[in-house]
Amino acid sequence: MKTANIVIAGLLLIFGSYYAFLTTRLPTRNLPNTLGVDFMPWVLVGCLLILSVLLLLTAVFRKPRERFDPKISYKEVGGIIFLTIFVYAYVQVMHLFGFVWVTPFFMAVLMIMTGSRKWKEIVVFSVVSPLVIYVFFQKIFQVILPGGTYF
Amino acid sequence: MEGTVLTALLEVLQPQNILASMVGVFFGLFIGSTPGLTISLGMVLLLPLTFKLSAVTSICLMLGLYAAGMTGGSISAILLNIPGTPSASATAIDGHEMTKHGRAGEALGVAVVSSFFGGIFGLSCLVLAAPLIARVALNFGAPELFAIVLLGLTLICSFGSESTIKGLISGIIGLIIMTVGLDPMMGTPRFTFNSVNLQAGISFLPAMIGLFAIPQILVGIAGKVQVIPEYKSKISGVLPKIRNLVKLIKSMLIGSLVGTGIGAIPGAGGPIAVFLSYDYSRKASRRSDGYGKGEPEGVAAPEAANNAVAGGALIPMLTLGIPGDPVTAILLGALLIHGLIPGPLLFQQAPQFVYSVFWAYLIANFMNLLLTFSTIKLWVKVLKVPERVLLPIILILCVVGTFALRNTFFDAGIMFGFGLLGYLMKKYGFPIVPMLLAIILGPKLEEHLRMSLIISQGDYSIFVTHPISLAFIIISIFSFIMPLIKPLWQKKKVLP
Repeated sequence: MKTANIVIAGLLLIFGSYYAFLTTRLPTRNLPNTLGVDFMPWVLVGCLLILSVLLLLTAVFRKPRERFDPKISYKEVGGIIFLTIFVYAYVQVMHLFGFVWVTPFFMAVLMIMTGSRKWKEIVVFSVVSPLVIYVFFQKIFQVILPGGTYF
Repeated sequence: MEGTVLTALLEVLQPQNILASMVGVFFGLFIGSTPGLTISLGMVLLLPLTFKLSAVTSICLMLGLYAAGMTGGSISAILLNIPGTPSASATAIDGHEMTKHGRAGEALGVAVVSSFFGGIFGLSCLVLAAPLIARVALNFGAPELFAIVLLGLTLICSFGSESTIKGLISGIIGLIIMTVGLDPMMGTPRFTFNSVNLQAGISFLPAMIGLFAIPQILVGIAGKVQVIPEYKSKISGVLPKIRNLVKLIKSMLIGSLVGTGIGAIPGAGGPIAVFLSYDYSRKASRRSDGYGKGEPEGVAAPEAANNAVAGGALIPMLTLGIPGDPVTAILLGALLIHGLIPGPLLFQQAPQFVYSVFWAYLIANFMNLLLTFSTIKLWVKVLKVPERVLLPIILILCVVGTFALRNTFFDAGIMFGFGLLGYLMKKYGFPIVPMLLAIILGPKLEEHLRMSLIISQGDYSIFVTHPISLAFIIISIFSFIMPLIKPLWQKKKVLP
């Protein structure tokens, strides 16, 4: 926990410095009695750097009082990678074929990944849920759902 | 004024608004009674559906969810000892003991009636207090408004997490995210990396959906899905007897008072209110020995409290534009989507809408009472719906919901990015609510700060020379320092 907080404080200091660097590149306008566009970012840079240093100091010198498990398991890393690829692929394929045709397949994959093993349950839910969403969004609430290039 | 109140009532009584309230209550009971699904998640999933609805219909839908979600949380708490929402945690203590003794029906009945009592009490306080606070707040200028937003942010950052520093860092990162896009005063692009999509800034809706929903899906995929035990016994005697309810009035009143009070403090939230009300009710009770062993008062107090929190949390949200809890933060976002800016001006510019909110919340509470009693057996069955089915549906809804905002997949990417960030933040003890609130309130904070400094020609003493602004800033500093020095003070107190 202590190490995790030290690493986080370090990462925040790097991020704060990068944000400060980006802030120096913001255009400046010298209008009378007005504050520039970089005013708020500078305030935030200051606050973030101070708080990161405070986090670092408390992590080093104070007994940890928080309760969290800093370890990320392989399953969690796998889950993050899977979901990232999944959402990316879902969006790309939906771009081509539209919501109605694509969603049942992706839904089935996701159900298997979250632990569904009964094929009847997978088929029923992956077909019925997109249809219900379609009816609710597009037909009843008239909210546009993604349409594809081909369908 | 009477005309406005009546017109607002007539508007809320339109069939589509009654239907919206009913749908909201149904969805709220589903979300609340399903362990693992929170009211905040239900709100963000419902939000995209409101894009094409009128502001009043949307508020009917969302307030229905808010009221019923709190009640729904008690069902799984009582029957399975698994609180459906964090605000139902205290209900489980005596509620589940009653179930063990074969009094599940009675416990559910007490929970529903107490929720109704708390809801109506919170609403009464809202109706009485909100116009008065708004009238005072109408005199506020830019420095006071800046100080109020600052106070709201610091309170939520300080009280909302185990570590104040982490809470504040979360808020600061939210403010940093808010600086992406066109500068609110001059229209100069900031941190847009020449992307057209980023010029409009990062919308709070994908951020909200990502922060609340994606971490839950990730937990499910990582194999940490909660296994819900099945409730098999029959439930009877749900409708409570009047003479039994009379005995519980004191506990309900304590719960309602604590709930409304705590709800009105930004950042304090439902879980604190329910445990405080449980404790106060136990101390004030003649039957304090029975607490923890299946005492109906132990169900009545926290249930009244968690529904009263909603009314309390709506007070700062409507009058000052400062949400009291994550749900009202989402509600604030929903109003912003419809072009309504909560705050004192709302009472002046759209009084009819404000009264519509009051009526909508009243109807939501009545609807909640009726629908919960009439469909309680259905919600017991809902407890059986496994997360492995719900999580994929939630992910699909997240993607299509963010797409619906601007009909672009760019927002889906933003939503997912926030989801990953939210997961890591939760993992390492950073609260997500301060970040969300900072994204919503950030533009206002910057606008009022810069406006104040333009008025004072760059003189920072403007925040100190205005007494109200000074008072709010002092409270902000106090709320920031207090959690830092409290452990030292407590340590000294222990020493002989």
